[in-house]
Amino acid sequence: MLPCGTFNQDYGRDTAVIRTRLQWIITILALVVLLTFPLYGDHYLIGLINKMSITIVAVLGLQLMMGYCGLISFGQVAFVAIGAFTSAILTATYGWPFWLALPVSGIVAGLVGIVGGTPALRIKGFYLALATLAIHYIVTWLILHLKITGGVVGLHAPPPTAFGFAFDTDETMYYIIVPVMLLMTYFAKNLARSRIGRAFVAIRDNDLAASVMGVSLFRYKLVAFFIGCFFAGIAGSLFAHWMMFVHVEQFPLADAVFYIGMLIVGGLGTIVGVFFGTVFISLLIEAVTFASPTLTGWFPALGIAPAAALGASAFGVIIVLFLIFEPRGLAHRWAIFKASYRLFPFAY
Amino acid sequence: MQFFLELSLNGLVIGALYALVALAIVLVCKATEVVSLAHGQLLAFGALFFYVGYILLGLPLWVGWLVGLAMGAVLGFAVERICLRPLIGQPLFSGFLMTFAVFMVLDGIFALILKGEAWGFPDFLPKGNITIAGSSVPVGGLYSLGICLVVFLLTVLFFRYTKVGLGMRATAESHQLAQSAGINVRTIFSLVWILSAVVAVVAGVMLARYYDIRFMLTMVAFKGLVVAMVGGLDSLPGALVGGLLLGWVENVASGYLDPIVGGGIQEVAGYIMLLLVLLVRPYGIFGLVRIERV
Repeated sequence: MLPCGTFNQDYGRDTAVIRTRLQWIITILALVVLLTFPLYGDHYLIGLINKMSITIVAVLGLQLMMGYCGLISFGQVAFVAIGAFTSAILTATYGWPFWLALPVSGIVAGLVGIVGGTPALRIKGFYLALATLAIHYIVTWLILHLKITGGVVGLHAPPPTAFGFAFDTDETMYYIIVPVMLLMTYFAKNLARSRIGRAFVAIRDNDLAASVMGVSLFRYKLVAFFIGCFFAGIAGSLFAHWMMFVHVEQFPLADAVFYIGMLIVGGLGTIVGVFFGTVFISLLIEAVTFASPTLTGWFPALGIAPAAALGASAFGVIIVLFLIFEPRGLAHRWAIFKASYRLFPFAY
Repeated sequence: MQFFLELSLNGLVIGALYALVALAIVLVCKATEVVSLAHGQLLAFGALFFYVGYILLGLPLWVGWLVGLAMGAVLGFAVERICLRPLIGQPLFSGFLMTFAVFMVLDGIFALILKGEAWGFPDFLPKGNITIAGSSVPVGGLYSLGICLVVFLLTVLFFRYTKVGLGMRATAESHQLAQSAGINVRTIFSLVWILSAVVAVVAGVMLARYYDIRFMLTMVAFKGLVVAMVGGLDSLPGALVGGLLLGWVENVASGYLDPIVGGGIQEVAGYIMLLLVLLVRPYGIFGLVRIERV
């Protein structure tokens, strides 16, 4: 709902994402703070924002597939890996520039996604979830056994360069990762509002009804797979060049699990939910990592490094609580909050 | 031929265990329409309690079994009561994600208990090998195959010939109709989870003979899911056929293909089989083909 006193006087206004002057001011301020952050920010925080931004790109792709189109996927991390390895192979082995390898690795991941997604044309729901799990295992197995990916050794990914300047620190990579993340968010937000996005929602809500209404299931499910995996590929390429090294163990199944958790916590079917979910779960995992040595100090019986185990448990408990008490995620809470401050003196 | 027979027999022995895990998943799916990811942890915890009873406390073998089965049943009941009951009436998808959250919670606890170690599991079945058709097979494996088939048969008979089993089948058809016929659907849900946890624990203890109690053990549930999908999510015979098939395919593939591709084919053979089966029969080999209308 719109704030009081905001009228739409032309079509441009009606379809705008940012509507009021206050929203413009907040957006510009936030962008300025975000883009100047490496100049004064803490090194650790910059690394964390890099990591979160890459995750956001991957989760945005999953949101378009799962939240909008209803295609549950446990394979997103595998496609991130495909993007990362494609980018590393193109730049390190064939000497392509990063700026070309970035979109190409997205497209390669998307095309592999289409091939992997063909079973999705006939199956859905749990069957699809398991099929994508199969894709994850098959992809990681192939990466381990193919010559071109470096197998168990992994691959070096050179840092991006522009005009003789190398982006080889967290601070400099920030200026590639964050703008790409903003661009992909803009793309995802507008895609969700377009004809394609509406077709996705129709398929999610009832694929048979959508097909009766003339939405081509064949075309749009393949488009969903392509776009979701394209986002994953972009995230993978960013990740490879930020880490400057790719290895199959950087892409465990647990991350795919975390991505789905981020969607549940954030809210399925909203772009803003991706941000809430990713930040929430990432901070939770960071907090557990920090708390783990202290906890071991208090309870020596826990063992040396309970971080991973505690992280998994805490994550699980959070998901259980969200599914029972807030199944529509933080985005829903945020929508309620916005509505209530816009109505402020009145209850409704 | 000799080599092939040996691979096949050993594959079938493991496959029967996969079939039991799949049976547990299919039972839950049939009655409550929730596809469970949590069964790997249920069976791992069952094996853990069996170990605690039989080895750490030094109880007799059958008491160890009882401890494992009872604790597994309690865990299954708790999962249904605490986590899944509040979701009644919500989309099926939430139930799936809930079992997946339960999987994460139990996974973390399991890892905390193990601290990254593997607990050597006692081999409580007779040792030695016997020769069948010229190929040698461990006797323990044959016993395990036998136990699996008996448990499978008992469960199917229970499902078919007891009043509770009838209630479960009625609930599987339609929750609302079952309720209006005087069946307490909630009680049925609890009972189904308990029954399926018990079946899973039997599989877990037998599987721990091969894998020991380690982190890997919980991952067997994914194989169980693959089996359930290949056989069809709502088919009991499908679970048995799918399980035996998966065990056989894995073993034969690793025997013949591993030297060519350099190892590890056992991990992916099942998944490749799953994709192929789903391409041809999207509801599994024996699954009920749903006819949808708008």
